[in-house]
Amino acid sequence: MEIVVNGEAEELISDCTVLQLLENHAVTIKAAVVELNGKILKQEHWKNTLLQTDDRLEILIFMGGG
Amino acid sequence: MNDIIKSIDLSEDSLFIGGVNLRSRLLVGTGKFSSHEIVPRVLEASCAQVITMALRRVDWKTPQENILNYLPQNTILLPNTSGARTADEAVRIARLAKAAGCGNWVKIEVVQDQRYLMPDNWETLLATEQLVKEGFVVLPYMSPDLGTAKRLQEAGAAAIMPLGSPIGSNRGLQTKELIRILIEEIPLPIIVDAGIGRPSEAAEAMEMGAAAVLVNTAIATACDPVLMAQAFRLAVMAGRLGYLAGPGDRRIEAAASSPLTGFLQEA
Repeated sequence: MEIVVNGEAEELISDCTVLQLLENHAVTIKAAVVELNGKILKQEHWKNTLLQTDDRLEILIFMGGG
Repeated sequence: MNDIIKSIDLSEDSLFIGGVNLRSRLLVGTGKFSSHEIVPRVLEASCAQVITMALRRVDWKTPQENILNYLPQNTILLPNTSGARTADEAVRIARLAKAAGCGNWVKIEVVQDQRYLMPDNWETLLATEQLVKEGFVVLPYMSPDLGTAKRLQEAGAAAIMPLGSPIGSNRGLQTKELIRILIEEIPLPIIVDAGIGRPSEAAEAMEMGAAAVLVNTAIATACDPVLMAQAFRLAVMAGRLGYLAGPGDRRIEAAASSPLTGFLQEA
């Protein structure tokens, strides 16, 4: 199953929730923000949201900026 | 020196923005620092209460730590919308920042010009109108233009943030006269953002009557950012005190400071 994460194709070999995907990539959960298919996905829904083929995911965090 | 600073009482001179009384008139950005570790020391030295940062895609290959982990608990977070080229993109970034739990303050930054990073005032206005409707405290970064500033005010902006010179240029107040007009005509806090490269330039902006300044590059790229943060803190206070004190008139010709009578050679 292929999804698109931050503009790049990603192959998932088994069922995976948004939360599992973040944990697999060691993303700091605190204050990360996720957009699924153009809509903000609240943190409380990450663990129940199963990724589907062709899902487009944006995962963002805060970085230094002026 | 610390005793002198402590004796300065600016407690009655707070800056009211978005329902908050700010004691510090220095806002600090968190970009370009050599490491995240230095950021808390810089913020402490600056005494800034409002801190800016940017929202970016996570890089899977080279994971970066969230800058929020390095900011003190009680700071007001001012995420910017850098990277946005249109009002719609700025609105999207603002909503994402809010969803990340950063509160409802946002610095609108809409830029299409990649050479000078000049803000697009029209798109900035559109984004401001939308985000105010959604309950954000909106601080738009803009090219100093009175007409646009008036429309931003009508749209409900909490403050206006004109640039002094291009972002990161350290060239100071190249737009000084235009900023002066905004300070005179717009009944909102005018926060000079971008281009301030030296503490003296921050003091100059404050002396003109700017409500605050936002500084990032000048501190981050200094040899000693912590010391520079302290220097900016003092410069902003000094400029503010100078403004409150009411500078005397300027003249073309000299006006003697010493009495013009009673000279030794008088008969």
